[in-house]
Amino acid sequence: MGRAIVITSGKGGVGKTTTTANLGTALAQLGHSVVLVDADIGLRNLDVVMGLENRIVYHVVDAIRGKCSVAKALIKDRRMENLWLLPASQTDDKDAVTPDDMKRLIGELKATHDFVIIDCPAGIEQGFRNAIAAADEAIVVATPEVSSIRDADRVVGLLAASDVPARLIVNRISQHLVKRGDMLSQSDVIEILALELLGTVPLDDQVVATTNKGVPAVLEGKSVAAREFIRIAKKVSGLEVEAPVGVGFFTRLGRALGLSAAPA
Amino acid sequence: MFQTIRSFLTGKSSRDVAKGRLHLVLAHDRSGLEGGRLQEMREEIAAVIAKYVPIDAEAVEIQIETRSRETQLTVSSPLPARAR
Repeated sequence: MGRAIVITSGKGGVGKTTTTANLGTALAQLGHSVVLVDADIGLRNLDVVMGLENRIVYHVVDAIRGKCSVAKALIKDRRMENLWLLPASQTDDKDAVTPDDMKRLIGELKATHDFVIIDCPAGIEQGFRNAIAAADEAIVVATPEVSSIRDADRVVGLLAASDVPARLIVNRISQHLVKRGDMLSQSDVIEILALELLGTVPLDDQVVATTNKGVPAVLEGKSVAAREFIRIAKKVSGLEVEAPVGVGFFTRLGRALGLSAAPA
Repeated sequence: MFQTIRSFLTGKSSRDVAKGRLHLVLAHDRSGLEGGRLQEMREEIAAVIAKYVPIDAEAVEIQIETRSRETQLTVSSPLPARAR
């Protein structure tokens, strides 16, 4: 039986879809079988971020309505073993699906795959409720900005009310701006949201470039953001993880000697 | 540049300002109390206190603060010294 993880944020444009694409691809690279589900019905985007937009025949609403089997609606990613996409419908709206529909669909996918990663739409309405209904756990994505953290906080409250355990990814952080005092740090965000941190993804030009091409950054390997997504995937799958990106030798040495504070 | 000079003069970075604003905004969001309701509550509490001690109702302050996921409501009022 697989695990269903919803990627959510409240606010739009903070990197939910990019996180879904990269985390899912990295989990598949680790040898797990993974399905990415685009739950943003009416505004699908995961297909273009994955570069699979030309191969869509059926979508999630077709599978729910029984127009095709669930297996038939899945698009196999040919770049690697074990990775599939279930695209959203572009013509229906979010009310076309109910939380019970999602539970049935995700239940079926969990029976045949190790991970079902659900890309949640922005907002906290019907689409959000559908996306979290079948999730065993949640990853909240927030950027270090007041508006993003405020919305994330709202989502954290709603997830807690639905008994969905949540962990945090801080996205698009710039250590340069943090040092200059012009950006909230990862520990500021953790302190405010009071969530366990999965990882901190640096602001990275490479992600913009690979997304333009429809290639998840982790497939192109060496960028700092890609390395962090791979580290997060290892953590999610329960594998041992090395020190986070950006933590240097002396910081780690200091921590080991008790000279500087351990991360919150 | 202006930002840099201002933060140099006030000693507050934009990061500190963001943190302060978030604490305030989240305290209100988490309590579900909109600004108007909070003021209504302040006036009622002030009226209750005034029943027992002569106070200046205008000086009663109400504040919501949040640390981590704990939110706290504080009401404060100066008490006048008793006339002998």
